[in-house]
Amino acid sequence: MNTSTQAPFALEVSGLTRTYGEGVGAVHALAGVDLAFPSGTFTAVMGPSGSGKSTFLTCAAGLERPTGGAVVIDGQEITRWSEDDRTRFRRERIGFVFQGFHLMPYLTAEQNVGLPLRLAGHRPDRARVRSLLERVGLSDRAGHLPGTLSGGQQQRVAIARALVTGPAVILADEPTGSLDSRTAHDVLRLLRSLDDRTVVMVTHDPVAAAYADSVVFLVDGRVAGRMDAPTADAVAGQMAHLDDLVAVEAAS
Amino acid sequence: MTGLALRSLRHRATAFTATFLAVLLGTALIGSFATLIQTATGPVSSTDGETLMVLGAVVGGWGTLIVLFSVASTLAITVRQREVEIGLLRTIGATPRQARRLIRLEALVVAILAALGGSLVAAVGGRALLAMLRNGGLVADDVAYGGGVAALAAAAAGVVLTSVLAASIAGRRATGGPATVALAQGASESGRMRWWRVLAALVLIGYGLAMGVVTITVSADSADPYDAMATSGSSSILVGVGLALLAPLLLRWLSVLARPILGRSGPTGHLAAYNTSRRSHLLSGVLAPVIVLTASSIGTLTLVGIDGRTLAGGVSTPETHTINVLNNVVVGMLSLFAAIMVINSFAAVVSHRRAELNRLWLLGATPGQVRGSVLAEAWVVAGVGVLVGAAAALATIVPFGVARHEGVVPDGQLWLPPLLAAGVVLLTLLSARSAVRRVAPAAPAGQPALR
Repeated sequence: MNTSTQAPFALEVSGLTRTYGEGVGAVHALAGVDLAFPSGTFTAVMGPSGSGKSTFLTCAAGLERPTGGAVVIDGQEITRWSEDDRTRFRRERIGFVFQGFHLMPYLTAEQNVGLPLRLAGHRPDRARVRSLLERVGLSDRAGHLPGTLSGGQQQRVAIARALVTGPAVILADEPTGSLDSRTAHDVLRLLRSLDDRTVVMVTHDPVAAAYADSVVFLVDGRVAGRMDAPTADAVAGQMAHLDDLVAVEAAS
Repeated sequence: MTGLALRSLRHRATAFTATFLAVLLGTALIGSFATLIQTATGPVSSTDGETLMVLGAVVGGWGTLIVLFSVASTLAITVRQREVEIGLLRTIGATPRQARRLIRLEALVVAILAALGGSLVAAVGGRALLAMLRNGGLVADDVAYGGGVAALAAAAAGVVLTSVLAASIAGRRATGGPATVALAQGASESGRMRWWRVLAALVLIGYGLAMGVVTITVSADSADPYDAMATSGSSSILVGVGLALLAPLLLRWLSVLARPILGRSGPTGHLAAYNTSRRSHLLSGVLAPVIVLTASSIGTLTLVGIDGRTLAGGVSTPETHTINVLNNVVVGMLSLFAAIMVINSFAAVVSHRRAELNRLWLLGATPGQVRGSVLAEAWVVAGVGVLVGAAAALATIVPFGVARHEGVVPDGQLWLPPLLAAGVVLLTLLSARSAVRRVAPAAPAGQPALR
């Protein structure tokens, strides 16, 4: 499944649309999004509530089939694939980090990290799992169940799990939304330190977005701007400005 | 609070179906036998009175034990499903006492409605039961049905009372911690068992085993061959219910034995192995009825078989015939009841895990793997349940076999226990399949819940 040719973009979407419902009541969650995420970059996708951030993420991950447009991951166009094919592709080429951690409560940290490999039918390489846990700073917690770990520790286990298959892209959905600011800082620094990986993080927090190499702004299902080398203040200022734009558009 | 309870019930009618069914069937079962006791107190001869009394008390007694146990465990599952909602209520200002009262009121309303329905069924069932006894010649033909409001009300009240008591205990557990709406998805809820539960289990097992000893040492030599049956007949059910009370522990220990086998059957087996042992308290709700079903059906039907072979040189008198029919009816009713409990509790447990199964799919499990892991768990539950249930059945089979001089191993019908066990396994797997089919992640339709 892995083409050896290194695509310049780990994730590329073009003309992406997603419409819920039909006719007058139709909601255009995504109204034509073109974005490309170069390999090895950390990008934040920001936008106000209802801007289509989460829909973008589920479509990009192949969890949901877009109404129109294309999603190309690692050189492969996956939108027309069957559910099973997309699932198989997803678990090998996409790493997921969720706001709610999504660890299996009855598996230890080590078993949780190895789970994607197991689901793909491989026996997890113990040394690899251990080294990933070490990389996220939890080598001494390998045998612990999620219930005995703090929120920050659980999220770090989840990041190790996202890395275990060596994915082309890591998609993170508000990864710090359930963490306090100090723990959030650690998790974001960890995400930024993965410079051999492409990370796309959806967030509404300017402070979190400032950890990324660049920020993409979404408004009403469209790309409304882009900022390189962001700072929290600049992102917050841009967000306020975006809200103005939305108000103007709504009034017209 | 009452208004809130009623509205919550209407909103969640399907979730309470499980409780409703358990109470309805339970009342019908207990009520039918309770009418026999009331009939016995009426204008009947003293022999008939004694027969009816013994039947009502002994047979109804086993049933009561199983029914009360099932109602309590069903209620515990439904309350546990709502921990998040209860947490939400508390964060907006409900005191733990108010939350518990809400749970109790809901249980009370459902139990009363179901018990009323069950009483109606019992009024018919009691008459049918008495008619069967008359036709079989166990009681005189002129014994009239004397059951009435008193017997039915007592049965209904007993079941309703148990429901409310079970709801109180479940509510206390649900409101024990601090108020929070945070989905405690990572929390490995501890399946610690209360001391009274362990005590009740030990008492039941001990009593069942003692009855077995009494059968071999005392009633085997009795002039009336049915004395041995009276003392040993209920042992399998007593020990079965006792072991069912210990279900979380048994599942935790015994599923570890299944780990090597499951580990070889791919990722679904791997998940099932750890889920069954580390969250045994969840699946123990399913394991309990599987144990009781296996114990009561294997124990009682093998007893009927031994009885048929050894009594009076195989001569079939009306009395032996009736006792056989009665035993079969009891097994039939209890099996039906336990079977519904298995289906019921599997549906409840799986729907409780909807979010978790969705999570598994988000992580890259195919829908087939998600279903497969639940089915693998069902295999473990069925295997452990049949094993433990069959062991409990020995509490009846061995003493009765010894008393009737067949020895420890019955002389015939050795195909019966494996057949029944296979039936129980099949039932468990089918109920798991139907339960998981209802909640399997609906992949392409709608927006997947990322959170």
